[in-house]
Amino acid sequence: MGVVVMGVGICGSFPSSGGLSYRELIAKAAATAYEDAGLEPEQIDGAVSCEEDFISGYSISDEYVPDQLAMVRKPVYTITGDFLHGLSSAVMQIRTGRFKTLVVQSYCKASNIMTKDEIVHFALDPTYNRFGVSPHYLAGIEMQQFIDSSGHSAEDIAEIAAFNRSRAMANPLAPYGAKLTGDDVIASRPLATPVTELMFARPADAAVVIVIGNEEAAQEMANDPIYISGTGWGSGNSIIERRAHDISEGTLVAAKMAYEEAGISVPQNEVDIAYVSDLYAHRELMHMDALGLNTDFLPFINPDGGSQGMGDLMEANGGARFYDAVRQLRGNATGHQVVGAKTALLHGWRGIPTDSAAVVVLDAEGGDNE
Amino acid sequence: MSNRVAVIGAGMTKFVRRAQESPGELAAQAVQMALEDAGLEMKDIDAVCLGTAPDAFDGIHLNGEHLIAGAGGTNKPYLRHYVGGGTGVFSPIHGWMHVASGKFKNCLVVTEEKMSPCNPHPAGAFITIFDHTTEQPLDLTLIHIFGMEMARFMHTYGYSEEELARISVLCKGNALGHPAAQIAEKITVEDVMNSPMLSTPVKRRDISPVSDGACAVVLSNERVARTHCKAPVFIDGVGFRLDTAYWNTRDLAFPTYVAMAAHDAYKMAGIDKPEEDIDIYEPYDPFNYKALHHMNGLFMDRSGRKLRELFDADQLGPDGSHPICPSGGALGVGNPIAATGLMKIAELYFQLSGQAGKRQVKKSVRTGVAQAWGDLMQVGTVVVMSGENRLPTTASMWNKMTSKDLPGTALKKVEDVPHFGYTPDFRYSWDNGAALTTYLDGFKAGKLRASKCNKCNRMMVPPRAFCELCNLHPVNDYYDIQDTGTVQTLTRSYVDWDSSMLPKGKERHYAVISLDGASDEMGICHWLGEVKVKDLKVGMRVKAVWKPEKDREGGILDIKYFRPLKQGERTSKTVKQIKPTEMDTVTGKSFPGAIPLNYVYTAGVGGTRFFEDLAKGKLSGTYCSHCDAVHIPAANFCEAGMIALDVNKNARVVNPGSGFVSSFTDVFEDRSGHLLSKPKTVVQVVFPKTVGSLFGVLELAKGDVVDVGSAVELVRSRQAGPEHIKFRLKKKRK
Repeated sequence: MGVVVMGVGICGSFPSSGGLSYRELIAKAAATAYEDAGLEPEQIDGAVSCEEDFISGYSISDEYVPDQLAMVRKPVYTITGDFLHGLSSAVMQIRTGRFKTLVVQSYCKASNIMTKDEIVHFALDPTYNRFGVSPHYLAGIEMQQFIDSSGHSAEDIAEIAAFNRSRAMANPLAPYGAKLTGDDVIASRPLATPVTELMFARPADAAVVIVIGNEEAAQEMANDPIYISGTGWGSGNSIIERRAHDISEGTLVAAKMAYEEAGISVPQNEVDIAYVSDLYAHRELMHMDALGLNTDFLPFINPDGGSQGMGDLMEANGGARFYDAVRQLRGNATGHQVVGAKTALLHGWRGIPTDSAAVVVLDAEGGDNE
Repeated sequence: MSNRVAVIGAGMTKFVRRAQESPGELAAQAVQMALEDAGLEMKDIDAVCLGTAPDAFDGIHLNGEHLIAGAGGTNKPYLRHYVGGGTGVFSPIHGWMHVASGKFKNCLVVTEEKMSPCNPHPAGAFITIFDHTTEQPLDLTLIHIFGMEMARFMHTYGYSEEELARISVLCKGNALGHPAAQIAEKITVEDVMNSPMLSTPVKRRDISPVSDGACAVVLSNERVARTHCKAPVFIDGVGFRLDTAYWNTRDLAFPTYVAMAAHDAYKMAGIDKPEEDIDIYEPYDPFNYKALHHMNGLFMDRSGRKLRELFDADQLGPDGSHPICPSGGALGVGNPIAATGLMKIAELYFQLSGQAGKRQVKKSVRTGVAQAWGDLMQVGTVVVMSGENRLPTTASMWNKMTSKDLPGTALKKVEDVPHFGYTPDFRYSWDNGAALTTYLDGFKAGKLRASKCNKCNRMMVPPRAFCELCNLHPVNDYYDIQDTGTVQTLTRSYVDWDSSMLPKGKERHYAVISLDGASDEMGICHWLGEVKVKDLKVGMRVKAVWKPEKDREGGILDIKYFRPLKQGERTSKTVKQIKPTEMDTVTGKSFPGAIPLNYVYTAGVGGTRFFEDLAKGKLSGTYCSHCDAVHIPAANFCEAGMIALDVNKNARVVNPGSGFVSSFTDVFEDRSGHLLSKPKTVVQVVFPKTVGSLFGVLELAKGDVVDVGSAVELVRSRQAGPEHIKFRLKKKRK
């Protein structure tokens, strides 16, 4: 059963969004998505949100999902994952044949959180891994191993951060566009060697809402559908003592599943643009390895500036990439449009200390590859 | 159309007040049993989905990620889902999506909750489920709102406390036959009535306990199910519905969201009359009244008459026509939230395939329904299942299962094993946006404020910038309403937000108050004061008592409490339109918040071995036959094969001085992001002939230089906890 994107909406991203509550932030994105889909929320069957308790500041934060989506008393649940994880779950839900249209939502109100590193430190295993130091230590360990085994240098990695920040200048939604060089990145304050401050995406606020439906719904209602031709997700070992830190096993699992479903065998030749998680600059290169993309493809990766340019939106990172991909495939990404983009590969990673990833393939033209 | 999906195996730990096992170890034990019961190995599992409720219980951010290894999700497609207390029954629904969509053949569904690490009491975690600006300042916990919901239920349907106590007696008695049961006991209605009053009408024995535990089931498509399982139990219908978070604004007596979820599930299962077509019921029963409250929802009967007849005729027991909670439910087996719901699914699997042993109900059963509920009294999750065959009694390990056969180690106190405390520093500054800032400004001015939707004409409290019931229609009109109202329900509470008892002789009165001038169903939660206990009643008229203007800060506590209206005191429902707050850098308000919890963790079974060794200056790994390798650190399960390991019998001595640095980093900030006076070096260390590594802080002496490959030794420590895992460079022999 084919599943299509019917509408997309975003509010953000902003370095902070004082004056907008999280409810208002989401409601604005939702209203835009419904307008884009040409639907009223009452026509939609249910919702999937992507949230984490301590990021939202609530326990069982799913309770605050339905109102600002106008999904009160509808089938609604929450995935603790990147937006692309939630999307993948929603696609499964539609493919059961019991749901015709769904809304997928994720938001980040990082400016509400005063102790962000403390929260990430709390994600580390309480028995073995909380040392009272910045949780960036795991990124330092990873980057060190990646440099040792991959042949990439710290300078190569710095260039990735600088490139993404620079290209974000063409994206009017990106708050962190800046003309930077690799030297600027290397020279920035050390966080956890060899990771420097400008290698790590800065937090931002945004909400992303999309509407998806089965092909029947798309034919009836959608104005400009984009096809979801593959979804995959996977997790590496959560025990960091027994995980290889120079590869992303989770991305390998996710990519294999999505590529099989989308009928992709040589991704570099078969996709036009890719969005690859760059929360830490070294991770973009590590993820590219797992996705089967080499450095020749870098000009076509993260045309929106990635998380380096749009900010770390936590569970909404994949959502911001998704929003841009749909705009690219529709040909209306304005100043940062990649000419002729018809197929997009999206990758989301959940950040330190995880190795969990999701991969989605979008096509401008139909074709069910199941 | 969907593929048919069946439960073909189940596993669970004992439910206990405090488990020695870590969360991952609990999950792994349940998974191992479920795989054994299904006759499958981990390699047969295509995907894993996990349900666990708030991270605030286990005390781990990204708890779903932390549980990957224990849930069998390593190098697999793995998703964690949740809908608060409804998670346990939603878990098989999400698993059903995995298989019914055709994406996977076999999906492992795992649920886990370890509530015991949370201090000062696990119930304290519930303060953070309430709205941070409008409700948390009232020091609310679940018992308070359940007291109010229970009172509303009793008021509407006429049940007495003694009648509700019969449900506690029933469930705790049923649980006597359940191997996982935490508080199975034969008690009387008098025992329930004589238990301590917590928050009227809720008494200690009306409530399920705090629990640690895990449960897992294997879901398969029909082809696998018929090949592997002699008595598969099929999922015929699923439903889940989530109501508004504005819990003060809806009818608490009848769970409409449960009835809607049930309707969805019945429609899918082809059930027209649930009271006739369903043989056995597992409604969620964290409180005794909830079992009946939910049964009304499952019967889709707002009148409550169908249930009342069965209740009066004593037909809800295991020998009755409509058995409820034959497992013993949350009240008897225990309530590790997400695991409880899945335990109910497992009970349907046992009962509908004849594997329930001593608990097997008297009547012949073919169809059952399980339900869970949660969040801010707003979510209903429902699964309808049916069996086809009954296994011979001798063919199932579950028929003779006893407590001794189930994994899970109950601790009397955490001090009995290596343990360590942790106080997180979680602080927030909530942007309240235009609508709530207008509300808060009103408090400072001594006014209660609402906003009005011009589509549905609801006058909404607290005010919103959009209408959640009118397709997000923008709301721009704000009004001052009256500070008088009517009590819809109330509770006299003797407990504080963290479940500690208030000082002797003190009590706090919480009420849901519908406000004059707002729409009928619009209420707020607040305290009552200046009222005699004998005068407390649903329907009483009240008025806000404000703090003096100079003391008001623009928050809900600017109202000290609501007092009864005095005789002859006049009221009005008139409202006055106002200009909403204009947001700018001066008026844009944020509201401070924090999560006031701390944690004490057990080291787990593997961690116990590790820290006991560390205290002796030793190090041991655990040999795994599946990997033919020695795991570091010590482990009581292998995440690759999901097999059990014995940290003592399978222990292998490793030289703690034989480590080599495989990676290192100099860290410049502390855990909160503050600059350290000098960087600390964290190292990952591997040991010869082992799989895995250790992380720790490297103690560097003056002149020491570390590099990849540097030889290090583990430093002996008598203290447990990660901050005591330290290494130092080995000095080269001269």
